[in-house]
Amino acid sequence: MVQKKKPEEVTTGFYLKPPDTPWTESLKLFLYDPKTNAVFGRTGSSWAKIGTFYLVFYLVLAAMFGIMLWIFYHTLDPRTPRWKLKESLIGTDPGLGFRPMPNDTDIRSSLIWYQGKNKRTHKYWTQTLEKFLEIYRKPGLTPGRGQNIYNCDYDRPPGRGQVCDVDVKNWHPCTSEQGFNYPQSSPCVFIKLNKIFGWIPDYYNHTDEFPSNMPDELKQHIVEQKNINPQLIKTVWVSCEGERPVDRENIGEIEYIPRKGFPGYFYPFLNTEGYLSPLMAVHFKRPKTGVIINVECKAWAKNLKHDRKDKIGVVHFELLID
Amino acid sequence: MPSTDARLGRTDSYRVATVPSLTDDNKTADGKVKSRRKPAPKKQRKGDLEDLKQELDIDHHKISVEELYQRFSTHPETGLTHAKAKENLERDGPNALTPPKTTPEWVKFCKQLFGGFALLLWVGAILCFIAYSIQASTVEEPADDNLYLGIVLAAVVIVTGIFSYYQESKSSRIMESFKNMVPQFATVLRQGEKLTLRAEDIVLGDVVEVKFGDRIPADIRIIEARGFKVDNSSLTGESEPQSRGVDLTNDNPLETKNLAFFSTNAVEGTAKGVVISCGDNTVMGRIAGLASGLDTGETPIAKEIHHFIHIITGVAVFLGVSFFIIAFILGYYWLDAVIFLIGIIVANVPEGLLATVTVCLTLTAKRMASKNCLVKNLEAVETLGSTSTICSDKTGTLTQNRMTVAHMWFDNQIIEADTTEDQSGVQYDRTSPGFKALARIATLCNRAEFKGGQEGVPILKKEVNGDASEAALLKCMELALGDVMSIRRRNRKVCEVPFNSTNKYQVSIHETEDPNDPRHLMVMKGAPERILDRCSTIFIGGKEKLLDEEMKEAFNNAYLELGGLGERVLGFCDMMLPSDKFPLGFKFDCDDPNFPLSGMRFVGLMSMIDPPRAAVPDAVAKCRSAGIKVIMVTGDHPITAKAIAKSVGIISEGNETVEDIAQRLNIPVSEVNPREAKAAVVHGTELRDTGSDQLDEILRYHTEIVFARTSPQQKLIIVEGCQRMGAIVAVTGDGVNDSPALKKADIGVAMGIAGSDVSKQAADMILLDDNFASIVTGVEEGRLIFDNLKKSIAYTLTSNIPEISPFLAFILLDIPLPLGTVTILCIDLGTDMVPAISLAYEEAESDIMKRQPRNPFTDKLVNERLISMAYGQIGMIQAAAGFFVYFVIMAENGFLPTKLFGIRKHWDSKAVNDLTDSYGQEWTYRDRKALEYTCHTAFFVSIVVVQWADLIICKTRRNSILHQGMRNWALNFGIVFETALAAFLSYTPGMDKGLRMYPLKFVWWLPALPFMVSIFVYDEVRRFYLRRNPGGWLEQETYY
Repeated sequence: MVQKKKPEEVTTGFYLKPPDTPWTESLKLFLYDPKTNAVFGRTGSSWAKIGTFYLVFYLVLAAMFGIMLWIFYHTLDPRTPRWKLKESLIGTDPGLGFRPMPNDTDIRSSLIWYQGKNKRTHKYWTQTLEKFLEIYRKPGLTPGRGQNIYNCDYDRPPGRGQVCDVDVKNWHPCTSEQGFNYPQSSPCVFIKLNKIFGWIPDYYNHTDEFPSNMPDELKQHIVEQKNINPQLIKTVWVSCEGERPVDRENIGEIEYIPRKGFPGYFYPFLNTEGYLSPLMAVHFKRPKTGVIINVECKAWAKNLKHDRKDKIGVVHFELLID
Repeated sequence: MPSTDARLGRTDSYRVATVPSLTDDNKTADGKVKSRRKPAPKKQRKGDLEDLKQELDIDHHKISVEELYQRFSTHPETGLTHAKAKENLERDGPNALTPPKTTPEWVKFCKQLFGGFALLLWVGAILCFIAYSIQASTVEEPADDNLYLGIVLAAVVIVTGIFSYYQESKSSRIMESFKNMVPQFATVLRQGEKLTLRAEDIVLGDVVEVKFGDRIPADIRIIEARGFKVDNSSLTGESEPQSRGVDLTNDNPLETKNLAFFSTNAVEGTAKGVVISCGDNTVMGRIAGLASGLDTGETPIAKEIHHFIHIITGVAVFLGVSFFIIAFILGYYWLDAVIFLIGIIVANVPEGLLATVTVCLTLTAKRMASKNCLVKNLEAVETLGSTSTICSDKTGTLTQNRMTVAHMWFDNQIIEADTTEDQSGVQYDRTSPGFKALARIATLCNRAEFKGGQEGVPILKKEVNGDASEAALLKCMELALGDVMSIRRRNRKVCEVPFNSTNKYQVSIHETEDPNDPRHLMVMKGAPERILDRCSTIFIGGKEKLLDEEMKEAFNNAYLELGGLGERVLGFCDMMLPSDKFPLGFKFDCDDPNFPLSGMRFVGLMSMIDPPRAAVPDAVAKCRSAGIKVIMVTGDHPITAKAIAKSVGIISEGNETVEDIAQRLNIPVSEVNPREAKAAVVHGTELRDTGSDQLDEILRYHTEIVFARTSPQQKLIIVEGCQRMGAIVAVTGDGVNDSPALKKADIGVAMGIAGSDVSKQAADMILLDDNFASIVTGVEEGRLIFDNLKKSIAYTLTSNIPEISPFLAFILLDIPLPLGTVTILCIDLGTDMVPAISLAYEEAESDIMKRQPRNPFTDKLVNERLISMAYGQIGMIQAAAGFFVYFVIMAENGFLPTKLFGIRKHWDSKAVNDLTDSYGQEWTYRDRKALEYTCHTAFFVSIVVVQWADLIICKTRRNSILHQGMRNWALNFGIVFETALAAFLSYTPGMDKGLRMYPLKFVWWLPALPFMVSIFVYDEVRRFYLRRNPGGWLEQETYY
């Protein structure tokens, strides 16, 4: 294919026009040329050469890529991400999540829908929850096999390398045995705050620090808790409400189990082996059936932002019990 | 008509005699003419072409004037009647050339809008809109991405379309200045009145009056002429004014003296004529119409670009469709599959490339314009580079187009005169008595004079009134002696017999400048043998000797030698008239000479030629070393043509023609094997009798060919012959008659100064200085741009792999998308553009004029080796760089590579608000999308980084960069520019909202650097081996 001069070109000084062959013919010749035994325009040895060339080329390239990635990997700390909080793109605004999540196939939906009387319909939700809570209920499942579990309390924060226990077994009625109360048409929904490495909540200490949009009920609750034990204010508070006035009417009474928030001793998350995210269950005692109830739960701390669209510090789901 | 008879009455009996008794129904005469001139519409093109190859066939010049008047129902004194004129006008239409058929502007625009890659991008845009509208109708809060992308894609297509359209129309606008070719007004006799009419209103049979300075308004038969001369150069190529009279001198209408043609110029005298054809039917109109009707085909570069578009489109469609199907098989939602399809199309199409090519060609066109090659059609820029054969005119292109004294013979020796344009050649002794005598004759026996108002102009460039040979003598003498006019004043002319074709001499009698000498000086010049006949003595070495046989032999030798050089030779002699017989004040009778015209003293010979331009031999040699065949096609005599061909190197030294061999071996021409002769001088009449096979043979077996005495029609045949051989042919021409050949050629080159408007219209390029050497510059530029376009395309295509591979990985490995469509567009239309264009400024790697022209059948602009390099090798390294950066950023933020595989579905789900990374952190949708877009930005930046190296390696295809250097400042600027643009896109506040570009940490610029270095090193090593093993396997596989 190099510009070699064919003998007749030298004598005539012209490049001779190649003979016109119909495209079917040239395609046939391209697929297999009986004269040179060429397949796809190349002979066997030509294919072997170019194949070897590219094989070696890509092997070298892959090796280079692999080695560089391997070297890079070794600069990373296996327990601590290189970039944390503001340095990282995860930022300092944890999102709020709920369980059970609707089915994977309908992954954009956030509707918890079942028929109270129909066992089949709430089976999915209870199984999902059981699966989610399994790790909380069986300490052996966590990476550290639960050996570093420490019974934390507000005045007993965990030590280095220790993790706090989340005792979901006693959260009656939101227990596995009760089917998380789904059959009773008063389901439990679990709320969790996203883990961000090294994030420490900034607690509300005084009533004058309460933001104006904090529900009065919660304000009152915080004041009560403070009165019980001043340590208790070191909590990331959670409040759940109906989103619109009609939802507030339909939602009925809500019970927060075990408390109205996440205790501060769980923070900061330092990727300690066996660390489990603090949980709380929201028990809808008597939600109105047959209508969709839009529920919005918010987590409260001074350094927690709320953004409904980005689901920062706030989570939205719908309940529909038929 | 009969009604006018009565009115005309007796006084015009002649008219009565010629006016037909029957009402003229315009069928017999005109019908016949018409049917001959208008071929059947079905085979119009072919028929016309054949028609043109035949000589013009009309009989208006052969019939008697009476018959002519009758045929057109006109009258020499009164002209047409108004009624008849109106009737003719309605029948034949205005006397103007139909402008060449042009494609409507909107069609051109649509071609730009839907041609090339545009169609593929439209598909992409429409898919975007479909995807968006489906999302909008099914999801509450649809992502606007697809809508934006669709709009952006449509905008890209429209903007590049407008840009290309603008560029194209800009270059075609060059022509508009040449359009006023139809004469404006003409004096016409109608109903006995002299009217000044617009030329468009002239009809068949009109009697028109033409005077010097006018343009002939239509083809006319002369019925009255007074010293009338026309300049037919635009039509026939004859540069000297032709006298025109009432007599039929030749059956060939183009040769006969009683016809004058539309759009030629009257230069002297006045004439009256009958219009015999108008508008498109005129000789000029026919040729112009034919030229515009000729099928020109695609330019070589257009073919290359189409070939390249086919490859890329094929790859895009193949990848797009196969991944669309794969996505289905993998169980993706069909809308997602459509979005993949869009991504693959966008990644595959080098959106900015066609604009880049246009800009590169425009830049070259500008550079060529500054070197006197004005390019009308952008694509022609490259055509010249692929040219393998140039058919060149002689007069004006290879030569200076002015007669110049080349040699003198006096004192029995030939002296060379300086013919160079700037008088840098040899000088000769101007003091010998022989020269003085010769110079005196040449000065005095000469009617030429310089035109006024040319004080600052160099002598050789001054314009002269008078015939070409006399002008040559005048200039030669002005250079040798100084002020010729004052010499003439001092030697007052008392009598003169001008040159005529029967006696072939010119004689004049002067008083001498010596006031004491009472004698008259008689000086004579003319055809050498005639002059010699009148001489009895010869002036040699300051002495008058008897003209014996020996001297005659010497004269003959000199005459033959000069004639053999193709020069026009004049003999000079003089005589002092004895004062006793011819005292001062003697009444010389010019009409009937009363003085002796024999027994004179022979002084010498002077020979003239239209000398080659100084730069031409060099240019021809360059063409030859560049493998371009230069063929001379001229209407001139074979001897002159051959002499010029030899002096400029078209026939190189030592190469013989068949005739030369015959002469050397002293055998008849018929016994010489034509294959032995490399050179050939082919006479036009020979060509007329040969078939195309024989022409092919001539073209094939002779490397150095001169076609002499060719008619313009034969030029077309020669061009077609060369094209049949597979050559890409450039043709130069200036006359209207050249325009079909210009149009037929792959690149027609018209002359800016001497060229006629029609030829300029038909040409693709205009040489502003009419100089052949400019063509060579054009060839060089054309070859350079072809090489540089390869480099530019190689550069641009390379980044396609790092653009496509993220999509493939996204689908096949289920990882978050590493590079988005918007960022792809930022590369293709942003950072890659300036560097790709800057490669157009790259200097040639080696002497591109020392290699053969490219073979249009095998040397493609984009070949499999270029694709293999760009896609298979460099592109893969670039993709590796991009993915490395991607994995680094993901890992540093928490997602180790192992975590990423298979995460895509959760990653892209808005409902998942707590996606766990490798460190147990839980990411909200917003945060991980910010991370993803940061990865897009980083991937983009790393492509920019590796493109630095790619740009540098694309500078050369064989040489080391150390050899090539970094002197291309446009390219250096390109590197800075793309980097600055990347930084701008990444760091400008608000880009995260607009283009989804996020600011990067500085360290994220670095991971691509090792890959950049490895690209550079890899290619340097590759090229090192290439140079070490020329023709080796690596070259066969990777040298593009």
